[in-house]
Amino acid sequence: MSNADHISPQSRGLLDRRSFMQTAGFSLGGLGLASLLAEDDPTGFSGKQPIRPVIDVNNPYAPRPPHFAVPAKQVLVIYCPGAVSHVDTFDHKPALEKQHGKKADYIPKVTFEGPPGNVAKAFWDFKPRGQTGKMVSDLLPNLATMTDDFCFFHALHTETAAHPQGENFFNTGFTMEGFPSFGAWVTYALGTENADLPGFVAINDPRGLARSGKNNFGSGFLPASFQGTNFTAKNPPDNLRRPKQFAAADDAATVDLLRALNDKHLEKFPGDADLAARIASYELAGKMQTSVPEVMDVAREPEFIQKEYGTESGSDLRQEYAKNCILARRLIEQGVRVVQLFNGSDPSGGNGITNWDSHANIKNTHAMQAEIMDQPTAALLRDLKRRGLLDHTLVVWATEFGRMPFLQGNGTGRDHNPGAFTCFMAGAGVKAGMSYGASDEFGFKAVHNRTSVYDFNATILHLMGLDHERLSYYHNGLERRLTNVHGHVVKEVLA
Amino acid sequence: MGAEHWAFQPIKRPKAPSVGGNKIDSFLNARLAKAGVKPNGQATPKELIRRVSIVLTGLPPTPEQVQAFEARYEKDAEQAYIRLVEEQLSSKHFGERWAQHWLDVIRWAETNGSEANLYRKMAWVYRDYVVRAFNDDVPYDQFVREQLAGDTLGRGEATGFLVSGPHVPPATIGQIPAAIRQARADRMDEIIQTVGSSLLGLTMNCARCHDHKFDPVSIDDYYSMAAVFQGIEFGSRSPEFGPDHPRRQRGEALLKAIDGERKKLRGTSPWQEDWGGYREVHFGAGKFKAIKVNFKTPYVGVDELELFGPDLKMGNVALASRGTKVSGPDHMAQRGRTTVSRINDGEYGTMAWRARAPNGSKEKPWALLEFAEPQTVSFVRLSTNREYYYEVDYLERMPGLSFSHMKIEGQGVDGKWRTLADTHFIEKINKERAARAVPLKAIQAHISEYEEQAPRPSFVGRFVEPGVTRVMHRGNPENLRAEVPPAAPELLAGDLKLNSKTPEAHRRARFAEWATSRENPLLARVMVNRIWQHVFGRGLVATASDFGKAGAKPSHPELLDWLASEFMLPVRSNAASWSVKDTLRLLLYSDAFQRSSRPAAHKADEALLWRFPPRRVEAEVIRDGILLASGKLDAKIGGRSYRIHNVKKTYAQWEVVDNHGPHTWRRMLYQERMRRVDDQIFTAFDFPDCGQVRAKRPVSTTPLQALNLMNSPFVVEQSAFIAARAEKEAGQGTQAVKRCFELLLGREPSSNELKASLAVAKQRGLQFVARALINSNEFAFIP
Repeated sequence: MSNADHISPQSRGLLDRRSFMQTAGFSLGGLGLASLLAEDDPTGFSGKQPIRPVIDVNNPYAPRPPHFAVPAKQVLVIYCPGAVSHVDTFDHKPALEKQHGKKADYIPKVTFEGPPGNVAKAFWDFKPRGQTGKMVSDLLPNLATMTDDFCFFHALHTETAAHPQGENFFNTGFTMEGFPSFGAWVTYALGTENADLPGFVAINDPRGLARSGKNNFGSGFLPASFQGTNFTAKNPPDNLRRPKQFAAADDAATVDLLRALNDKHLEKFPGDADLAARIASYELAGKMQTSVPEVMDVAREPEFIQKEYGTESGSDLRQEYAKNCILARRLIEQGVRVVQLFNGSDPSGGNGITNWDSHANIKNTHAMQAEIMDQPTAALLRDLKRRGLLDHTLVVWATEFGRMPFLQGNGTGRDHNPGAFTCFMAGAGVKAGMSYGASDEFGFKAVHNRTSVYDFNATILHLMGLDHERLSYYHNGLERRLTNVHGHVVKEVLA
Repeated sequence: MGAEHWAFQPIKRPKAPSVGGNKIDSFLNARLAKAGVKPNGQATPKELIRRVSIVLTGLPPTPEQVQAFEARYEKDAEQAYIRLVEEQLSSKHFGERWAQHWLDVIRWAETNGSEANLYRKMAWVYRDYVVRAFNDDVPYDQFVREQLAGDTLGRGEATGFLVSGPHVPPATIGQIPAAIRQARADRMDEIIQTVGSSLLGLTMNCARCHDHKFDPVSIDDYYSMAAVFQGIEFGSRSPEFGPDHPRRQRGEALLKAIDGERKKLRGTSPWQEDWGGYREVHFGAGKFKAIKVNFKTPYVGVDELELFGPDLKMGNVALASRGTKVSGPDHMAQRGRTTVSRINDGEYGTMAWRARAPNGSKEKPWALLEFAEPQTVSFVRLSTNREYYYEVDYLERMPGLSFSHMKIEGQGVDGKWRTLADTHFIEKINKERAARAVPLKAIQAHISEYEEQAPRPSFVGRFVEPGVTRVMHRGNPENLRAEVPPAAPELLAGDLKLNSKTPEAHRRARFAEWATSRENPLLARVMVNRIWQHVFGRGLVATASDFGKAGAKPSHPELLDWLASEFMLPVRSNAASWSVKDTLRLLLYSDAFQRSSRPAAHKADEALLWRFPPRRVEAEVIRDGILLASGKLDAKIGGRSYRIHNVKKTYAQWEVVDNHGPHTWRRMLYQERMRRVDDQIFTAFDFPDCGQVRAKRPVSTTPLQALNLMNSPFVVEQSAFIAARAEKEAGQGTQAVKRCFELLLGREPSSNELKASLAVAKQRGLQFVARALINSNEFAFIP
């Protein structure tokens, strides 16, 4: 059997190098091409052959088939930077009430910020919710009404107790710098359904970027086409709009002249894919100048939607975030492949608190952050469901790690807990009303059905119809993957 | 396993397929003939000058250069072409272009990456070193030795190479000891990634957790290489400069100038100098048994207090290590820990003396320094956190000096105390005697120059005790196994005969010797391949930083080895060993390089080089080319990078403030390279995020590029400048349109192009013609 027989139909076409040159859009090869050229065709650590998407240079966002058929076509990630306290939200630990205010033998000598204090019970009461009776605290009363639709992961654990590395790890699969984000991987693999909009949109918090900044939605070593385009309900992408001092006719004249120049130039290089792609990119840019402002125009949503999301009530930040939630829905509606919505920023941004990192006075700081997140996020999920969008959209709610069941030395905040935390999924392909895995009786360590971030990411990719061991990209000696050399799909949560 | 892989075999000089002519052509043509492919003919002179200029200097030619070249070409094509190549090779912009390629390979940047993404102060001295090295055609083996061990060679700033990767600063690692060890292991991995990929084309970091999957590199090899660099830490130091180093010479000249001004002040009354990170109080020199500094404010923070005489060679006589005893009111020390003994321990940074006088106390903080033997002293130098000042910049809250006025007293050899300086009094005197302002101002001006131009603490790595290196089982720092000696990979005869006791600088120097030995089959192969890639757009080995089994096979193996041996030991007359410029001559004088890039019906494999493969230019070439066309390009070489970002809080993201104003009108090589920060124009053009090593930038095409190049303030403004320049130089109408074409594309418009452009110029304005040209495919491709 020749090497070609191992290779998927998608990548078999690439074996003809000439056709790769013409279709892949990466001039002069070298990308993703290397191991096909190498003698023994070494592969990733999984031993499985990579599946390389065939990119149409004229439209790098053209939809591409998944590795296998799944209900999910799109994915919305709601990311909460700073580490949401699982023991104060979704992971009910009655045992903490007995230990409240006391020392406990499992408390380490030193945690991320230094010497710890005593055990503290949840700062909010837990109540059973919905049909499943899932215990959720009063911190998130609106999200609590929807738990019948959620699939919780209670035994997540991560590799680091520091935020920037934790954000990197969650969103790129590596604690170190420079790797492609989850959204970039999915857009690289699947393109998008709506060619008039970017395939991957990062809606950052009104207060600014999160601590890992652009890493969370960057393309790393993947081509720049697959990075997340950064805009919010308030701020359009950079340089989208026609410069203020120019009239529409100025733009039209520039574009027409440019087209004429490029057509003339192309006559000298008939059939040159790179030149043609660049001409096409200007047409797509022109379309985006109409389609992006349209999708951003959340003000035209009816009054009941504005009320439900809370765009006109609550804190200013809540109102801004609520508008971003409406934008997220509109993007999903328009067929954007990956939407990543942030609820929190770097500690630079705002009035008092900037994210979920409640090292001090968690009672107030988590409450302030929850006020921003809870109602709009719940409204977004309800709205997606009502419109039937959850049938083909996977929703992931995530944070980089959890918080400790005991207080810090200061007696008012909880320190970082990489040993156990909770995230949830909902929508296409995932079981509803489920809780998978468990932390110990204090919420200190994940114990039952422990789920690594690799497993979690492998599962998300699986739900998107992608084999995390075969979705790879050659970079400096390795077929790189979102899950490095790790990860197991959590089959138990698949619907 | 894998030792038989082609790249690890010794380089044996192959015989060129035919004699005479350019050897590169004989290798390439033999393959073309075998494939039955007819190569293209010669490109036009216009195409040639644009191609040569962009490849060698990254700048398109000016209309005047095009005109002159064409005229010469008509008379004697060969001589004209030689002159063109030689001129471009000796252009001072050559080094800038080739430095850009090198900085990409090692993902060099001026910030740390990670959360705070702090600015690395003076890191750019390394970038300037690279520019200079390429301009001076420093032999590549020497270039490598300097980057590995420049501290031993009078080129201390070259070690910026070792710390070119990202790192997480201690504050964001946290307090957990295992996390601190993990972070150190991660920093070592960045160093190994840099060295392995850039110099050896080896993906060493694949062997961090277990033996390499594809290549004969073991986990022991990985940690042995870690041992070589175990004495390096991410941080700043004052680089070691040889007497011939331009920065050292400049520093000496400035100190001399400062001394000249000081002479004018000496003998009058005391004065102060503000050196940014520290302050100096100068007074009449004398011999003293002790010095006492009495602060006049209730709170002081001093990390170090130094005492010098007029002869700086005598050094700081306040040091405890020289027997000087320090005392002070330690009942004022904070939490009893921040005692006065910290001011003469030789340590800068947060371990400072912090004292606060109780409310209403008459006694304020003071420090008494008693010498073992009487010492000559003429000035005091004090700082609060000099380390921080030396390492970072552009933060909203830079630590200032936590002390203000003071009185300095000295005890003479006669045992009598007298006042040497009182800073209140100094201010008074300065007001009264206006003449003092002249030398004082001159001193401050020289100090500002000194800060930029002299040897200063720079982010080029610092040295630590290397200790013993052990294998980390599965890459886990908590799981230490056997001790390993500092060594290069065993497969490549990497035993350096060193052990855990070898001093750290010696380890690197030995490794450099090994790496640059002609027996090492990788160094020359990898570098000539990089040169080839930047000339022809694709390496003979397509994976330029991976020559292992997972990498691509060479398209022309004999040619690669011939080039590598010619690089190391040239047999051509007039060619020097390890010369990058001579290698470029070889490539650029080939027929292959000068071929037309037009497509052909046969559509044969591009790797055969039957044509010069046209390719998109990088972000830098677009930006620099626009500025060159508008006439706004400031061609200054080197120095501090231009800033487009804000001054930020420590824990915050950098934000673009101004990416288009006059201060940015320099070559983009000098735009601060910020890890993972979007510059809002050119990042979209596959500008690297400087996180992982990059053998080659991807070339992607996205609508965001189009939007940035149509609508960004930079392009909008520059279009207007180009239009204004064209009208100024050529008048109105047709001539101005023609001039725009010349300035941006180096050619005249065709009659149809002229007609269409003229219509736009008349109806909307000439700037829209310039805007369209900037966006054109022709402007963005090497012909």
